[in-house]
Amino acid sequence: MWAYIVRRVALASLAIAGVLVIVFFLSHIIPGDPVAAILGPQAPNDVIEDLRRRWGLDRPVHEQFVRFVVRLARGDLGDSLATHRPVIRDLREFFPATFELATAAILIGALTGLAVGVVSAVARGRPLDHAVRFLSLIGLSMPVFWLGLILLYIFYYRIPLLPGPGQLDIFIARPPWVTGMITVDALLARDGGALINALGHLLLPAVVLGSHALVGIARITRASMLEVLGQDYVKVARAKGLAERTVILKHALRNGLLPIITVIGIYYGGLLEGAVLTETVFAWPGLGRYATSAILSQDFAAIMGVTIVIALIFSLANLIVDLAYGLLNPKIRYE
Amino acid sequence: MRNRLLRLLGVLLALALLPAVVVGGPAPSRTPPNVLVIGTSIQDIVSLDPAQAFEFRSTWVVEHLYDTLVEFNREFNRALPNVAASWTASPDLKTYTFQLRSGVRFHSGNAVNAQAVEFSLRRVMRLKMSPAFIITDFVKAETDIAAVGSDQVRITFNQGMPEVLMASVLDNPVSSVVDPALVRRNAAAGDPEANKWLTENDAGSGPYILRRWTRNAIVELVAYDGYWRGRPSMGRIFIQDLIEPAAQLLALQRGDIDVAMSLLPGQYRQLATTPGFVVKRVPTFSIRYLAMNVGYEPFASRQVRNAVKYAVDYDAIKRIYEDAIDVGQTIVPARMFAHLPDRPYTRNVERARALMREAGREAGFRATLVVSTEVPLPDIAAKIKEDLAAINITVDVQVLRSADVLGIYRGRTHHMTIARWGADYPDPDNLAKAFADFDSRVLAWRNQWDHPVKRVVQQAVQESDRAKREALYKEIQKVVLEEGPYVIFAYPLRQIAMRTNVKGVDPSPLAETFDLTNASKE
Repeated sequence: MWAYIVRRVALASLAIAGVLVIVFFLSHIIPGDPVAAILGPQAPNDVIEDLRRRWGLDRPVHEQFVRFVVRLARGDLGDSLATHRPVIRDLREFFPATFELATAAILIGALTGLAVGVVSAVARGRPLDHAVRFLSLIGLSMPVFWLGLILLYIFYYRIPLLPGPGQLDIFIARPPWVTGMITVDALLARDGGALINALGHLLLPAVVLGSHALVGIARITRASMLEVLGQDYVKVARAKGLAERTVILKHALRNGLLPIITVIGIYYGGLLEGAVLTETVFAWPGLGRYATSAILSQDFAAIMGVTIVIALIFSLANLIVDLAYGLLNPKIRYE
Repeated sequence: MRNRLLRLLGVLLALALLPAVVVGGPAPSRTPPNVLVIGTSIQDIVSLDPAQAFEFRSTWVVEHLYDTLVEFNREFNRALPNVAASWTASPDLKTYTFQLRSGVRFHSGNAVNAQAVEFSLRRVMRLKMSPAFIITDFVKAETDIAAVGSDQVRITFNQGMPEVLMASVLDNPVSSVVDPALVRRNAAAGDPEANKWLTENDAGSGPYILRRWTRNAIVELVAYDGYWRGRPSMGRIFIQDLIEPAAQLLALQRGDIDVAMSLLPGQYRQLATTPGFVVKRVPTFSIRYLAMNVGYEPFASRQVRNAVKYAVDYDAIKRIYEDAIDVGQTIVPARMFAHLPDRPYTRNVERARALMREAGREAGFRATLVVSTEVPLPDIAAKIKEDLAAINITVDVQVLRSADVLGIYRGRTHHMTIARWGADYPDPDNLAKAFADFDSRVLAWRNQWDHPVKRVVQQAVQESDRAKREALYKEIQKVVLEEGPYVIFAYPLRQIAMRTNVKGVDPSPLAETFDLTNASKE
């Protein structure tokens, strides 16, 4: 299996390198002036020219690329034009918030989606099944931005059950920075108040972000379960007189999990890089907003930094999904 | 059995949703009496170093952490003492000597003295960051800023500086006085001016101390007990990042924030008639305009440019802005010194066609209009396209990212664009230079409009007689109005919504912000 992992990592590295080359040249070919965009319409020309020189943006693109590669080899992603800080520092600051949000979202989406999908499959053709399918259609067609605002309106404003936007109430001190994820840092600091408050803040954005994953996972679970429930080995299990719970959860669900795991992996990668709308509605200081502002202002170093993170995440998610296959199905061999 | 399974799965589902009920709990419905919470977007804050801060929210925070030598009165037409208790000027208004107030101390406890002022202004000149031009346009050498003893500072400008212009430079956040001892202590190899440290820390003597700044999340300020004017009434101020207007509105209505600063025009209108809330509006020192590049042959004709000015439907544009603008047509906004209130242009298609005929352009021409995606610019562009079609100008609208539009505008390759200009300092010189002085390489240069009025601009800034100066700026405005390549259609209104128990919050026409030291709560 180790040889397989090494080969996959090597392949992923090649893919990431390819993505970097494409993104670098695409972002440089697009017309526009990043320095002017960042300094605004009123910055004097000499300040813009000076900054362009200082950041090496007056050099030919291929020269900038070579410099980027040399720096990358040293683990230096360069400085962001917008934040004037090393990109690596920005990523370290903004990525944990997104990671925390996306992880909570996929947990909610996967747990609920699995449960809903199984219920729907087991209750196939009954009103419950129809209701679940109808609701999932609605869920799929509901824009995340709109859903976020509606949930905020209901659970924050109309029935004030949950706290509003942000990661933590402003009057609560943030636990010392260890991982950057407030819930984990609060746990490490054994700060129960901060932990509960942070979980409250996390819930709505996680539900919103996880909603599409929930629906997708529920649908694939239902389809997969229906297929498996018709297999001979399930009939045999039932004929042997096994408890229905055992038949469904042990025999059917376990065998139906392969496509579900694949979907969960894909959704998780997508959530990590696609959280910008949720982050905007819930004032979540994450990577999505950082990436969007980098793209809009053509902040090259930041764009490349975010690209690396996203490419790494997708590669890692794919690898984990592939490895999970082996755990779920011992017949699968890695060669 | 199947029912039991369904029950089990139901329990699983309930468990997944359980946190919705047990965690979090509602946030407090009202903020404490000595705390002011403001909701706005703080994504533009990239540095709190006065030598670098140039964005609206950055400079707003800096203004409250630091002191400057002088400050403006509310009308922006007089300089008032601040850290400088008084000053004298040489007869040619080139050299000012400032007498510093005694007993002013930095948050560190160090004294604010002449050496600190000299160090701070020279530091800006050495760092040469974005806002440095506000000083370096008027002070040529570091040695022109000199401490005289410990309580006097002498500044020699490169031109005569009427008091309002002097205050425009020295009241600006870039001219803040920083604590030299702290800067030196935090200097590092490759960063001798401690720019990195000052980006995230405070070395000021202003009414508030920086408690924390978490990027894209929150700025927290606490009142400085030792402030020379006395401790401000709000003990703590939170500026919370709430980028989405609807979420900001909910937070205000729920009572989690006291002030909302970036709502949509319709939301302000809604709150203005809702009991418990107040909306304040003020016209800003900024301008929205349609620029025509004189380098594009049809626009080289003054008649064509004026035809465009007569073809535009100004009332319709105001409606697109949902009334959140004042209609104005001159380059010096209302409320600023020397403003010329003339508004000669209203939509008059016949007049516009006559001008096109006069220019020999009756058959019309094609022109591209580039605008950014910023709302409501694409709608305004569509309206202008429709308006100009009536005089046979076929407009191709291109909606691009701000970065692209700026690149095109600065590269002078546009035919037309919609842009804005906000006064960097509250003096007509700033706007006159931008709109009328080709040699300043700003807007007149970008639109390739090299007009002799630039000499009047260069003369006006040197004029020390207030009445003569006013007359010169009015002359400049008239020329730009009648001949310039700009269709000026709006002075945007600044709006702030707050709960009725918040007092002393008045939006400033200069920046998107307000003075926090006057804020209080009932």
